[in-house]
Amino acid sequence: MKTATYKVVVGPEGYLPPAAATRGVTLPDTGQAIMEGALVDVDAAMSAIAQKLVSAKNPVFFPGPLILWDWKPGVAEKAIALKSLAEVVGAKIIPMPDYRPKYPMINPAIEVNPNHPNLTIWHNKIDVCLFIGVHCHYANVALKIIRGGTDCYTVALCAEAGHEDAMISLRDSGICELQRLRELVNELKAGRAND
Amino acid sequence: MKTGMLRISPGFDDIMPSEYRELVDNGPYGQGYAIKDLGSFKELLEEHPLCAGCGLALALRLTLASLPAPEDTVVVGSTGCSALAFPQVALHNIHSLFGNQNAVATGLKRALRLRFPDKVKDVVVIAGDGAIADIGLDMVMQSWLRRENLTTIMLDNEAYANTGGQESGMSVQGAVLNMAPKGKNFPKLSLPEIAQASGCAYVASVSPAKPKQLSKAVRRAILVARDTGPTYVQIYSPCPTNYKINSKETISYIKWREREGLYKTTELISQQAQAFLDTIEEKS
Amino acid sequence: MIEQKIVDPDFLFFEALRTSEYITGSEAVREAIKRANLDMAIAYPITPQSESMHLVGDLYAEGYVKEYYRGENEFAVMSAVAGASMGGARVFTATGGPGTMRAFEMFPTWSGARLPIVCAFMTRGINSPLTIQPDNIEMAFLLETGMIMLHAEGSQDLHDMILMAFMVAEKTDVHIPVGVFVDGFFVTHTRTNVNLFPEDCKLPTYNPYDSPVPVMDMENVPIRQMRDPFVMKSNFISYAAHASWQQEVDAAMERSRKYLLHYLGGLIETEHEDADILVVASGTAVSQSREAIRVARDEGIHVGLIKIKSIRPFPREELRALTSRAQAVVVPEFNRTGWLARELCNVINEPRKVVQGPRVFGGMTMPPELILEEIRRSTR
Repeated sequence: MKTATYKVVVGPEGYLPPAAATRGVTLPDTGQAIMEGALVDVDAAMSAIAQKLVSAKNPVFFPGPLILWDWKPGVAEKAIALKSLAEVVGAKIIPMPDYRPKYPMINPAIEVNPNHPNLTIWHNKIDVCLFIGVHCHYANVALKIIRGGTDCYTVALCAEAGHEDAMISLRDSGICELQRLRELVNELKAGRAND
Repeated sequence: MKTGMLRISPGFDDIMPSEYRELVDNGPYGQGYAIKDLGSFKELLEEHPLCAGCGLALALRLTLASLPAPEDTVVVGSTGCSALAFPQVALHNIHSLFGNQNAVATGLKRALRLRFPDKVKDVVVIAGDGAIADIGLDMVMQSWLRRENLTTIMLDNEAYANTGGQESGMSVQGAVLNMAPKGKNFPKLSLPEIAQASGCAYVASVSPAKPKQLSKAVRRAILVARDTGPTYVQIYSPCPTNYKINSKETISYIKWREREGLYKTTELISQQAQAFLDTIEEKS
Repeated sequence: MIEQKIVDPDFLFFEALRTSEYITGSEAVREAIKRANLDMAIAYPITPQSESMHLVGDLYAEGYVKEYYRGENEFAVMSAVAGASMGGARVFTATGGPGTMRAFEMFPTWSGARLPIVCAFMTRGINSPLTIQPDNIEMAFLLETGMIMLHAEGSQDLHDMILMAFMVAEKTDVHIPVGVFVDGFFVTHTRTNVNLFPEDCKLPTYNPYDSPVPVMDMENVPIRQMRDPFVMKSNFISYAAHASWQQEVDAAMERSRKYLLHYLGGLIETEHEDADILVVASGTAVSQSREAIRVARDEGIHVGLIKIKSIRPFPREELRALTSRAQAVVVPEFNRTGWLARELCNVINEPRKVVQGPRVFGGMTMPPELILEEIRRSTR
């Protein structure tokens, strides 16, 4: 019995969803992206991301430490591009400033933490979230918990190899992708305005 | 830490929680703060779950405020109550397993020296008495015998506090604790003397009842460890919870112990370390 | 020390001209590490890996390895290796048998901490009683530690796998430790011809900022970072975080498959895979099987070989497909428990056709005749 290819779709999947990689889902190669467990070309993924962001009731961006802190050259420009994208989408930004266990309690209105991202999503009723600038390990830990307990759609703009546990993930993603997404979102909104 | 590294990216100032903005605007990195400045800057330790009146928590705060270069200090801790505070500390720190903290610190120190040959990276072990004197004594001593450039700081609450108050090697003889229902039947380890004999160039035994003395010891220990040799600081940090001390009375309890001769402060300095300290303290 | 240039690993592994030398397994370790652009190695003596680490020490004295020292016991060495890796260094060590047992707590720690450490295991029997002779029962104990496990047939594999291990381990989406296993004395202290990569080439430098977790050096963010904290304390409810973290290590293991495929050419190797009888083996048992198969085929028996190179991740799908036709599957092993046969039975469609052996252990050699007997028995 061959392992069926698992579909990484919006949850809530249940008590403990599996890691998509252990269910046969593989990461994209350079020049590809991944969408709901399947390998797709980057343009298709970007259009889908733009579509999701525009049609979301409460889209929220979750920037992580790698973009929140202006720690090396290139980050500031990326941060500005992210802010700009958030503005055109109309998305709120809730930061993940670090990964530490929160004590005594997280304030889910203003923060998200990889140990319990579901709290932030439930509290703010987030239906589409976007991860960027989060170390891959912590993004993966968070994405499974989100898929398990919430019905939030997850998008990951990964600068490294991508995330199988997100519903849509780019790889090698940087400032260009942010700018392209902004264009796509603007196009969609213009299209809608004309409807 | 590269100058200017700790900056919030443009456009994100308004969404960063205040504890992070405070760290950027008023943190100790590169500022040369000392304990006399406590209260005027954002401390490295954020809100933590340690008990009211915890001697360890106070010792930790004073230690962190005494680091000569917090911007280039990496701490290696171990399992215990301090491990519950360390996730909240704004320094890179490693939770070793239990007892192997000095071995982890050895590998870390040598790796950082390779990667940053022109920079000083202070690697400081901060762990409890169980981790250092019992389960880790072998590896702690071996790091001293190898003359590693490490500072080892013991937060001595004379028990395994985090697991419910069991006897440790650093408990005093006769103390009735968990796993010693008839009272501990061997003396408290004299770790300062052992540290000196094992090659520590600077050794001190202090307490948070005398913050300036504690701070000077920590500072000296870290500076001496940079080039002279391993150093050890033992900080008596009573546990009100397991020793049934009123949480308001931790400091007076320390003072009482010192008056009764039940806790001695010491400073053991090698000739080489003394010569080094003389030159740097002369300058400042 | 000769001047070395950094080369693309694909060039080194697949295109560079190799030279053959008649060397021991220990020397093969030296040759691999010489080209590994290694930052640090930490050593502790235990037979039969001591010689390998002596030679790595010589490389340090010559300048090929930047930092090296002898630790005080295997748990301390593996702890120091963890500290060095968290500090961003490329680091190597070796152990085996009782040394593996002494260090054990560190192995799942390495995996959970996402440390791309390469550790060679020169297996030997486990006490009690003591033997220094080859026996790979320790591999059974390590199966669930979350480490990638590659089993070298001989010195050639040992040499190649050590170098490839660094390249697989250091991928951002993998970034877990790799154990390269060899059956003790059978390999470390015997000489064979090994095809070496050019000695003026070395692997690219490890970039610690490609790590999927922050590096402990106060030069990257976030600053408020502990590796790794008590997650169950986060908001007092984070049991799911621990579970998700474990799953992520599992996922990293799965992701390594494609890199192992690329560098090793596959998690398995086969000869006459369409045969009625298959011998499935790993490590030195493969060498012994080759001899038995040669004789059996001369006798007209239709028998083939599957050499398993990667124990973790286990080549489940490949083995399921390859064994579906065979009438019998013989699994010779150098351990008492038959961990390889058990792994195989877990994945194939008809576990009944697996012959659980032959097995020898405690340091006994495995004459090819033992395997030949099982092959002949399977024809009846």
